Amino acid sequence: MTAIAQSTTPRTSRSVPRFRLGGVGMSALSLTLGVLAWELVGRVFALPFFPPFTVVVGTLMEMIGRGDIVGNLAVSLSNLVAGFTISLVIGIVVGTAMGRYWRVRAALGVYVYALLTAPSLVFAPIFFSIFGAGQGSIIAVVVMYSTFVMIINTASAVQNVPAAMLEMGRSYGASEWQLVTRVIVPAALPTMLAGIRLGMGRAVLGMINGEMFIAVTGLGRLVTQAGKSFDGAAVLAVLIVIIVVALGAVGLVQMVDRALTGWVPDTSKEKS
Amino acid sequence: MIEINQLTKTFTSQDGTPVHALGGVDLTVNDNEFLTLLGPSGCGKTTMLKMIAGLQGWDGGTITIDGKAVTGPGPDRSMVFQNFALLPWATVMDNVCFGLRLRGTERRAREERAQELIEMVGLSGFESKRPGELSGGMQQRVGIARALAVDPQILLMDEPFGAVDEQTRRLLQEELLSIWERNRLTVVFVTHSMEEAVLLGDRVVLMSARPGQISEIVEVPLARPRSSDVGGLERSREYTEITAHLWDQLRSMHSEHRAVEAVR
Repeated sequence: MTAIAQSTTPRTSRSVPRFRLGGVGMSALSLTLGVLAWELVGRVFALPFFPPFTVVVGTLMEMIGRGDIVGNLAVSLSNLVAGFTISLVIGIVVGTAMGRYWRVRAALGVYVYALLTAPSLVFAPIFFSIFGAGQGSIIAVVVMYSTFVMIINTASAVQNVPAAMLEMGRSYGASEWQLVTRVIVPAALPTMLAGIRLGMGRAVLGMINGEMFIAVTGLGRLVTQAGKSFDGAAVLAVLIVIIVVALGAVGLVQMVDRALTGWVPDTSKEKS
Repeated sequence: MIEINQLTKTFTSQDGTPVHALGGVDLTVNDNEFLTLLGPSGCGKTTMLKMIAGLQGWDGGTITIDGKAVTGPGPDRSMVFQNFALLPWATVMDNVCFGLRLRGTERRAREERAQELIEMVGLSGFESKRPGELSGGMQQRVGIARALAVDPQILLMDEPFGAVDEQTRRLLQEELLSIWERNRLTVVFVTHSMEEAVLLGDRVVLMSARPGQISEIVEVPLARPRSSDVGGLERSREYTEITAHLWDQLRSMHSEHRAVEAVR
């Protein structure tokens, strides 16, 4: 992992204090510029499906006022939480087993890689026939989207635990279970969490796709309805909500990451 | 007492040729003895140590401890590693407690025991630090405390001071001597430094490579306790003679090895 160097190099003495942006400042600046560009493009070109930012925000406020957003958001979040939780458990258990035991790796590797790259919506009709046109199918799609990237990351994290660490554990008489829970998983955790973050992003994607194409509920339904009635502002308004959900979910993973892996020295940790 | 009989081990190298890591080694380590294993790299000294630890298998021969055959790691032995092998996420206290925790010692008892050892190795006040916040020398003190916490009869040390700087290494050697003078465990200590081997050991086992074999066992007649006057000891005639003799042997092994390489 590349570490972004802290600015420890002494600068040539300069009497004028220089304005420097931190990470938060940079993100805020970038967002402001993005919104300005959106507004500008929307106003100048007056495209039917790309209204300016202010119009979209106005529509969003209206929708919130009508009560369209909150209920649908709750439905979507429940799909996300259920699907992601299942994925997380499968990802950690199967990933650890694949990383630790070469037989499991040989047996499952081909499926995991095949399903990682397969377009997950292809399986929609199958889920449809198993779970019906309800929440079950959407959760299944979320699982399909987010599990495999977490399995693969966990497996490689587990495989890369230094051999010396395992030898140390064995020398103190650790059983296989103790070795996995007390040495391997904690040692692999920082890399595992990078995969969990990716998995969370893909889970949001799966949630929206599932809601748009399988069982029409939640935020996915709002997008579909707005699209069908050619309401560009409403489409983008829901998109903003989706982006906020995605950023919030990934931010949550990052918070957990920081709490659990505070021991990783800054120099070997990617700044996020 | 550790008894090693006709121990052999052959690896297959990547090009398919067999490498004789150990070619029939016989060795007895007495109770309460500090034994140092010295030799050029590739002589199988670390391999043999890991076999005693039960971490690695062998092809032929036997290793017994007090008459019982070694089949795996056991509570009678603990190991100190060259690169410390500490858990980077765990505090000094939790690292020292590691072995006791695996054995199910209850929390109060294990932390009391760990605290004694943390004090013994001079790390009081660092109990809640993590390895990343400690220097190499301090990390190996944690490694030693962790090994002693489980009350082993035999301490196996694999070049424990190989990864620290020279000054720290000398301090750690003195500390190890003074710890050992108090507990008199059986120690098998692998090193590639003849000074270290002589300073610490009751006997120095000199090994040669290809195949790994014992070429000589040198008694070290230096009086104990040694920790109080390491400087004087290093200037003594016995010390100088033994280290000079060991270096002569090692140098000839290296030049033989070069000659063999040249013929190939």
